[in-house]
Amino acid sequence: MTGTAAPIIDIRDLTVTFIGGRKPVHAVNGVTLAIQPAEVLALLGESGSGKSVTLRSLLGLHPPGRTSIGGSIQVAGKDVMALSGRALADFRGKTVSMIFQEPLLALDPVYTVGAQIAETIQRHEAVSRVKARARALALLQKVRIPSPERRLDAFPHEMSGGMRQRAMIALALACNPQILLADEPTTALDATVQIQILLLLRELQRELGLTVILVTHDIGVAVEVADRVAVMYAGRIVETGPVREIIRNPRHPYTQGLLASRAHGAMTGSRLDAIPGSPPDLADLPPGCSFAPRCKHAKATCVETAPEIRSVTADHWMRCMLDAEAAE
Amino acid sequence: MTELADMQQSVARDPRDRGGPRQPLLSVRGLVKHFPVGKNLFGRSRNVVRAVDDVDFELLKGETLGIVGESGCGKSTTARLLMNLIEPDAGEIIFDGEVVGHDISLRDYRRQVQMVFQDSYASLNPRLTIEDSIAFAPRVHGVSRREAVGRAHDLLARVGLEPHRFAGRYPHELSGGQRQRVNIARALALEPRLVILDEAVSALDKSVEAQVLNLLLDLKDAFGLTYIFISHDLNVVRFISDRVMVMYLGKVAEIGDAESVFAQPQHPYSAALLASMPAMDPDARTEQAPLYGDPPNPIDPPPGCRFHTRCRFADPVCSQTVPSLTPAGETQQVACLMRQYGSGHSCIGLEGRA
Ligand SMILES: Nc1ncnc2c1ncn2[C@@H]1O[C@H](COP(=O)(O)OP(=O)(O)OP(=O)(O)O)[C@@H](O)[C@H]1O
Ligand SMILES: Nc1ncnc2c1ncn2[C@@H]1O[C@H](COP(=O)(O)OP(=O)(O)OP(=O)(O)O)[C@@H](O)[C@H]1O
Ligand code: SF4
Ligand SMILES: [Mg+2]
Ligand SMILES: [Mg+2]
Repeated sequence: MTGTAAPIIDIRDLTVTFIGGRKPVHAVNGVTLAIQPAEVLALLGESGSGKSVTLRSLLGLHPPGRTSIGGSIQVAGKDVMALSGRALADFRGKTVSMIFQEPLLALDPVYTVGAQIAETIQRHEAVSRVKARARALALLQKVRIPSPERRLDAFPHEMSGGMRQRAMIALALACNPQILLADEPTTALDATVQIQILLLLRELQRELGLTVILVTHDIGVAVEVADRVAVMYAGRIVETGPVREIIRNPRHPYTQGLLASRAHGAMTGSRLDAIPGSPPDLADLPPGCSFAPRCKHAKATCVETAPEIRSVTADHWMRCMLDAEAAE
Repeated sequence: MTELADMQQSVARDPRDRGGPRQPLLSVRGLVKHFPVGKNLFGRSRNVVRAVDDVDFELLKGETLGIVGESGCGKSTTARLLMNLIEPDAGEIIFDGEVVGHDISLRDYRRQVQMVFQDSYASLNPRLTIEDSIAFAPRVHGVSRREAVGRAHDLLARVGLEPHRFAGRYPHELSGGQRQRVNIARALALEPRLVILDEAVSALDKSVEAQVLNLLLDLKDAFGLTYIFISHDLNVVRFISDRVMVMYLGKVAEIGDAESVFAQPQHPYSAALLASMPAMDPDARTEQAPLYGDPPNPIDPPPGCRFHTRCRFADPVCSQTVPSLTPAGETQQVACLMRQYGSGHSCIGLEGRA
């Protein structure tokens, strides 16, 4: 999965600032990311680090009046920021489609699940109602909803949480998108249901050759499905690399801190190696590395200038002043 | 074990301690809470949610008991019953040897049991400074304003918020992690012996969660506290708990030493729940989901063992007989017919297979 083929998603120096409020909020501050076809990337980060805003940018979902966007986004050869009208509507659904944490936000409560999927297909393609319904049924089978014929005519509220999540995935796949964006798709689910949905996503990805960006704050979720992890902090990707590399050989002090502070594997009752402090205020970002105020390795230069990208290995890089070697 | 004994020693020095270190701080017997849902023509409820259905357990002095289980299994309802925020339909709570409501008044009991919730914002009054929020309960209990505020400042310092910077702030001027520290300080203001933490760290960022977990460990030592720790994060529960209780649809499925339960769960449901935790090793990803489908509706739970609809060991007897908690392994108790001699389950004697 190294940079051999042309990336299907190519984000360069993306900035997203919300204006409109009392002070501008710098939600995304120079995200650069290239994703290969059929790659699964986990965007890992804490609340407010800019994961959802980055994802929404890929769909051109930011209200123009209240947002100022910089940089460039190419998806499947299209310049997303230049899309509008019919082209944008087709792009959403046919090229890229998205699933969310809360299926009730994606599903319309007053229509049956089958009707919604069929309607989505017909909106994008010239097919008959009968055909669209048959495809909806096939989709429900694909996401392994039990008794799919019956579920076609079920309303979202008549389904359990896990089943609704499956229905939303079916809806997202209705028009055979190349790219699936998943924003915390399992965060609200119980453990025994979460693992089912993660395995389903993994299977569908393989079967359909989907390119996937999965947003999560749970390292375990990333490990289960992702080829590669990008760690976000204060609107920047601070480190990215193959999932094994990030877990076993993290180089950025923030990634190292996150992994070290986990309760997973820690001795019962021993103190955790917590990162001090809390994430910065996005309306008042420090000029240098945004992690500097919490970083035990921070030097004067870290506070003054924002670090550039440095490679660790060919497909592993980070944004930190420290020599890749020094950050142990 | 010796550590626990030490802990219990220090607790034993507490002048409020009545029964000594070996007497459980809480004994919960036959606790039941059913919520009526939906009304029929006569205004009577047709259905009940069996949120907590005949729950028994003991909480030892100085321990942390973790409670896990899927959404709706009755964790918060158990906590609210213990806090006396809702009335049980049946059952009794014995606090350090005294039956609550008989030997010890509700008021005296309530001051010794405090709770911290998940939502750090909703649980603080937005119009009170955090100093006043923390001092509020002691004031109600007759502590002078000066003393209550002094205690609030001490507690703020204890939870890592410098009083001179934070005492005068309002909740919206704090981060989520800071607000949760305030909630913890507030829970400690009446010097409770038991603190119930219901998803208390769940809303926090991972980096801040570790700080608050450390704080909870420190405070427990410093004040000789006993914790009930409810969370859906099984890694965190394993880390913080001495013992764990696994609930399923209003019932206790298994209870025992945390390490034993995590290493060798004895109930098929505990085993499936723990096996559902995402792998942390990219080379050992989960290959098959341990369970299929969602937990059944607690409104009309399955008869017999409530887990039988999803259990791969289920026998005909499992849909008829309600299993009762039976000792299994050295420290565990489990409610499964496979472990109950004479139950008629065909796998009896093949245990340890779950
Ligand atoms: N429409 C908006 N107007 C103003 N600020 C916004 C808007 N949308 C997001 N933000 C801010 O941008 C920052 C990044 O938000 P984002 O939703 O991307 O975070 P996230 O990483 O997805 O976090 P979480 O894990 O909580 O979902 C946050 O501080 C958020 O408050
Ligand atoms: N006041 C109420 N009225 C009706 N039903 C209720 C009430 N409170 C709780 N329930 C129901 O009781 C059951 C147990 O709820 P409880 O909140 O104890 O679950 P929980 O284990 O804490 O779940 P979660 O992990 O989602 O917090 C659920 O089915 C819930 O819907
Ligand atoms: S009693 Fe039967 S159904 Fe219940 S856990 Fe044991 S084997 Fe499974
Ligand atoms: Mg988000
Ligand atoms: Mg709860």
